[in-house]
Amino acid sequence: MSTVLQAIANGLMIGGFYAMMGMGQNVIFGVMKIINFCHGEMLMVGMYLTFVLYTFFGMDPYAAVPFVAFIMFILGACIQSSLITPSLGTKSFTNLLFLTVGLGTLLSNIALVTFGSSFRTITTSYTGNVVQLGPVTMGLPKLISFVVTIIITILLFAFLKYTTLGKQIRAVSQNSVGAEVVGINVKGIYILAYGIGAALAGTAGALLTLFYVISPTAGSIFSFRALIVVVVGGLGSIPGAFFAGIFLGLLETLVSLLVSPMYKDLIVFVTFIVILVIRQNIIARRR
Amino acid sequence: MDQINIKKEVSDEDLKSASIYYRNIKIAVCAFLAVLLIIPLFIKDYPYIMNVFVLVFYMTTLSMAWNLLGGMTGQNSLGHAAYMGLGAYACCLLMTKAEVNPWICCIFGMIVVGLVSGIIFYPCFILKGPYFTLVSIAFGEAIRQFILNWDFAGNAIGISLSFGDDSWAEFRFMSKVPYYYVGLFMLIAVYVFMKKIDRSKLGFALKTIREDEDTAAAIGINPIKYKVIAVVISAMIAGMVGFFYASYNRYIDPDLMLQTYSVESVLPAVVGGASFVEGPLVGGGIMITISEFLRNQFGAILPGINLIMYALVLILVIRFRPSGLLGWYMNSDIKNKIDKGILKKPSMEVLEAAQAANDHNSSGRRV
Repeated sequence: MSTVLQAIANGLMIGGFYAMMGMGQNVIFGVMKIINFCHGEMLMVGMYLTFVLYTFFGMDPYAAVPFVAFIMFILGACIQSSLITPSLGTKSFTNLLFLTVGLGTLLSNIALVTFGSSFRTITTSYTGNVVQLGPVTMGLPKLISFVVTIIITILLFAFLKYTTLGKQIRAVSQNSVGAEVVGINVKGIYILAYGIGAALAGTAGALLTLFYVISPTAGSIFSFRALIVVVVGGLGSIPGAFFAGIFLGLLETLVSLLVSPMYKDLIVFVTFIVILVIRQNIIARRR
Repeated sequence: MDQINIKKEVSDEDLKSASIYYRNIKIAVCAFLAVLLIIPLFIKDYPYIMNVFVLVFYMTTLSMAWNLLGGMTGQNSLGHAAYMGLGAYACCLLMTKAEVNPWICCIFGMIVVGLVSGIIFYPCFILKGPYFTLVSIAFGEAIRQFILNWDFAGNAIGISLSFGDDSWAEFRFMSKVPYYYVGLFMLIAVYVFMKKIDRSKLGFALKTIREDEDTAAAIGINPIKYKVIAVVISAMIAGMVGFFYASYNRYIDPDLMLQTYSVESVLPAVVGGASFVEGPLVGGGIMITISEFLRNQFGAILPGINLIMYALVLILVIRFRPSGLLGWYMNSDIKNKIDKGILKKPSMEVLEAAQAANDHNSSGRRV
């Protein structure tokens, strides 16, 4: 029983990260209707930024989170304004797709050339500390990271729900032409949305560094999981993405515990296809 | 009456210039093919260069398979490495476990890939746009995970094919020259096949679906049916490439189906121009050659430099030449100069008149 509880706790924790990646992807997809295939690589860049800040400036990984988020926001805004916005005009989904795929390849290989392929880790004084929560044991960094992901989710939800900028983002998601007609700067919103997506991915990367190896391919696991979260949770729905992320994390850990760790990925992917097809069938029938 | 006479006179001259133009094109194509055919005579002692050629041939063929689905039908698949790997595995398993002739295994592999992709994607084609891409990734990863966990297929170790004497029946050679010719033949055959599809009713149906699926359905094209046809043909060609890959390398493992290879198979088409049948040929010839050169020169010092180049070229082409290198060439002055100066291309009206006269003559004969 305690192993199941332990697995559920771990699933919740990893699910928090999937949720965070999924929410970033969700903001981008909702606004521009494009899939950001370099989302996992953005997480990887966030990890390396934290690593650099920790090694060269001696900054604590949690203190580095705001800096990483800010740098990633600027990076995302630059990518959006220089590359993606001009390509949006061609209306070619193929081109936009492979633009982000190319960006992902570029980022991960720049990391490979700069830092080499060896795995890096960050070890602080509190890395080994554990917290006992009833029958469940959890590493202190994991717990802090989970709490931070929850806080960020709530902040993002409030931002989109109650602020003017958030309302503008939601308006563009619903109907970009209509949003332009009522005077919203749609191109500005695109830049803001991509920046937020990149910042969320970078933050997730920064929070992961304390218990996850840093390598140029670290993001690829999260990249596709983020898409699953978006699709399962529903497009444009922040709470949906959050719960889908948690669900995915739980599914993964429980499958590895109850079936076999080897079939974890297989079951995740098959579940995804099944959910997607069933959902679309329901939507198609309703029309 | 007068008007018809004048037209007739003009079209006599037109016919001549048009036939000269077509003759020139034929000469150019034949010369190009002849060069490709005699290249191995000069470079057969340089296995590395031969390897680059063979690589260009099969990667370009894979890219053309993708282009049928991605460029022509507008369904962006990112799972072609998985179809290729599935084909390779189906062939190799039959070859090593049942010791069947490789050529029969090739057909078996293509049928397996066609069936699996058809059955899996049939329910998925209710999904439109980006969802199809997601399913193709999930599908590819699921196949890879399945093979990784399948003891019969050798798990992560993969399958090695037997080495032995050169023989055409076993499709096994020490030298790379036979692979060169088979690869070239495969490339040309697939190209001709794609060109046929491009101009057939199927091709027009697929392009209509790409432009607007609802309109296609409204004018009586069943989108799901045609999309399944496209995915099955595309996957079968990818499976054939898988057979070629396995026979050439004599070894396969599940890493063959990694996501990065799917991306690599798409790049030639996108860089060359995904809306053209010739796009993958142009893109593959340029991109894979440069990538191999960089990998060879700098791979030891800076691993990943060839992929950086790949990504940079891709981003720059998409940003500044959205219709690909071929699309850019089609509207450039260089093409005009080559057309006018070397190929002696007459104006478009002349070509159309000649075409119409030809049609008229042939239909007249038939009557």
